[in-house]
Amino acid sequence: MRKLTFFLLPLVLFIGLAIFLFQGLFSNPREHESPLLNKPVPSFVLPDLMDTDITYTTEVFVGKVTLLNVWGVWCVTCAVEIPYLEQLKSEGKHIVGLYYDQDIDPDFGIKTVARVQQEVAQKLGQLGNPYAYNIFDVKRDLSLDLGVTGAPETFLIDKQGKVRLHHIGDINPRVWQNKFESVYAEVLAE
Amino acid sequence: MIRYSVFIFSLLLLLSTQAHASEETYQFDTDAQSALFFELTKELRCPMCQNQNIADSDAMIAADLRRKVYQLVNEGQSREQIIDYMKQRYGDFVYYQPPVNATTVWLWLLPVLFVLFGIVLVVRSRQQKPMIQDKAKLEAAEKLLEEDK
Repeated sequence: MRKLTFFLLPLVLFIGLAIFLFQGLFSNPREHESPLLNKPVPSFVLPDLMDTDITYTTEVFVGKVTLLNVWGVWCVTCAVEIPYLEQLKSEGKHIVGLYYDQDIDPDFGIKTVARVQQEVAQKLGQLGNPYAYNIFDVKRDLSLDLGVTGAPETFLIDKQGKVRLHHIGDINPRVWQNKFESVYAEVLAE
Repeated sequence: MIRYSVFIFSLLLLLSTQAHASEETYQFDTDAQSALFFELTKELRCPMCQNQNIADSDAMIAADLRRKVYQLVNEGQSREQIIDYMKQRYGDFVYYQPPVNATTVWLWLLPVLFVLFGIVLVVRSRQQKPMIQDKAKLEAAEKLLEEDK
């Protein structure tokens, strides 16, 4: 009996460790739960990208289910994602862009707004426009408050303006099916 | 000769200040604030490029976080307040020191348990050695001793 435990114990420990490490092979280190989950979108006052006279606040999210998509013309993956977003739009989903520019340094501001608008118009002219409108995160403050690490990222926002899902990376049919579909249906039914 | 070397030296000085100007420069009111800034940027992790702190990383998000840390330090916020500010947005992940909770407590407990387990094992195997001796053998030895008397 003693001999058996002495033989089995290292084996059990080894198998436990092997399972633990094996799981690690398939886990995504960039995946970690957003602390913002089920909390309202942080307050902001930001202009529309194409018409800076229009300003948006958190109130724009109240009363409808919104997919808030963080993007920029400089982002290669975003360009891949946009055609699929258009498909989602044609299925009746309300997609809002959160646009930020890489070249705008909040301390200096190298690029003019007109230049950014021109780039965006050109890009969306090529790829099509899935966005109902774009919020211009001029100094990337809202992105920071939302815990955005880069682009593309997408937030699912419910009718009360609360964040229900934060996805880092692009949305494609697989991601939509595995991650968004059930939550979206749930949020829509509320 | 000395004149020339002074001239060259001052030229070199000029060069070095120029090289410095191209990097981010932050001005602080007090040395304590400056120290806090450098400490925090070393302890906060870049959420984009993992396994780099925000002082080390060139990612845009790291630059944005450095600027935010600078802003908060200048507002006179404490170390804990700034760490909380970042954790609220980027989760526990953003700070290199993990919090102690039900899942992470094993990081500290497991090694301790492992060592304790080993000590118990060693102690027990030592104690059991005299027990192995046979009672019959002992009695035989005792008898021999008796006979010798």
